Amino acid sequence: MLYLYRLWGGYLRVSLRGYSPERFLNLCMANQIVIWDLRYVEDGYQFLITVKDFRRVKTLVRKAQVHLRIMGRFGLPFFLHRNRRRKLYGAGVAAFFLILLVMSRFIWNITIEGNRRFTDDGLMHYLSTLNISYGMRKSSIDCDSLEESIRSRYPEIVWVSARVSGTRLLIKIKENEVMGHAIQKEDMPRDLVAAKDGVITGMVVRQGKAQVEIGDAVVQGQVLVSGVIPIYNDSEELVNRQYVRADGDILAKTEYHYEEELPPLRSQRVDTGRERHGMGLWLGTASFVWLLPGSKENPWELSRETRQLVLFQDFYLPVWVDRIRAREYVLYERSWRPEELEAEKEQINSWKIQNLTQKGVQIIENNVKILNKSSGWSIRGQMVLEEPIGTGQNINQEEETKQLDECN
Amino acid sequence: MFDQIRIAAADGLKLPKDVVLGEVLISFVGRCSVTIENYRGILIYDDSTVKLQAKHCKLIIHGKRLHIEYYNHDEMKITGLIQSMEFGD
Repeated sequence: MLYLYRLWGGYLRVSLRGYSPERFLNLCMANQIVIWDLRYVEDGYQFLITVKDFRRVKTLVRKAQVHLRIMGRFGLPFFLHRNRRRKLYGAGVAAFFLILLVMSRFIWNITIEGNRRFTDDGLMHYLSTLNISYGMRKSSIDCDSLEESIRSRYPEIVWVSARVSGTRLLIKIKENEVMGHAIQKEDMPRDLVAAKDGVITGMVVRQGKAQVEIGDAVVQGQVLVSGVIPIYNDSEELVNRQYVRADGDILAKTEYHYEEELPPLRSQRVDTGRERHGMGLWLGTASFVWLLPGSKENPWELSRETRQLVLFQDFYLPVWVDRIRAREYVLYERSWRPEELEAEKEQINSWKIQNLTQKGVQIIENNVKILNKSSGWSIRGQMVLEEPIGTGQNINQEEETKQLDECN
Repeated sequence: MFDQIRIAAADGLKLPKDVVLGEVLISFVGRCSVTIENYRGILIYDDSTVKLQAKHCKLIIHGKRLHIEYYNHDEMKITGLIQSMEFGD
């Protein structure tokens, strides 16, 4: 800080010679004239002093009978004086600050934090419908109304904070982590029917009348738990039917088959090891790309890493710099090796198992085969599963009533 | 007599003697730097000797390439290779 203050006012390196230099130094101290970096040189002393203090030492120089000589001038006043003829230099510096000032009045970065369910792209798209985008004036953003409109557009977002920091619009949101609305209880009468063929291995009926037993083989669409409960009188005649919403857990042993085809030849990518590097520059909508030339025999894979230039922490500039890396590769096809086929089989199988276990299905048996076909390879799997097969099917009460009338 | 009373008072009240008696206060950082407080003036300065006047004594610092980094009414900082220090009358 002190250094900056001295630079601002300017300071001098002065050579001190004469009859009694120590007396001069003591006089300076007594008059509160600040001297620093005092050195002894062959023919006297050298020290640094501010321009303001240097103007006060004349009487002390006479009193101590010494001679002062300015050896160097430092600081802003001397810098400006030295460069007084360089008008374009000055204009450049002024233009820099002017551009900085003008640019700082616009938004160059929009950051959204705290979103998990809603993507940045989706929210940015919504912001663009509110005319909020990169390059807009900071003064035209009303953070309160922006918060209000985000909350009303997305009811799942329970808290929004929008603020402008530097040239960045920072939107922090908090999503509702508990379920947005209570599950509506359905009371429509229904049957539980089999979603697929299988053999029943377990039944827990909570509501309705069971139509099958453990060990029964069922086919797809067969009623497992009926939502129609017959009411009989004392002479065991059907007098009425009560309609309920059948509910229960019905487990069945089912079979599951799958078949995945593989092409006869496998295409493989091999990097040649040759690389090219380049740079890309985006200035607003204009873009420039510099990439070292390379051979055009083989394809190249380009990957780019984009960074937005930022001054200090929050001052985002409308300039994006790409680092481009190009890698040459060769594609060729060859037949499958046995170990590759085996690995592919394992991968497909584990993927299927993962999918099934995620659904809560228990796998009892699992057989996978690799078959050689004329069109290529085939991976064929057969599994025996234990899974819940009951699925709801609404009851048409009118039809049921008609049937009942016909019976009567 | 008056000085003795002041020393006794400083001891009794446990006050710092550099404040009460105006004694010179010297702080060394290894042998490359020394800060001197409560001095009165510079008597001699060259690149091998710095002689200072304190309230009750003189202070002579011998060394090589001695350089006064800053000095003001209260404090002086000397850097360089300090070889010895002595007190004179």
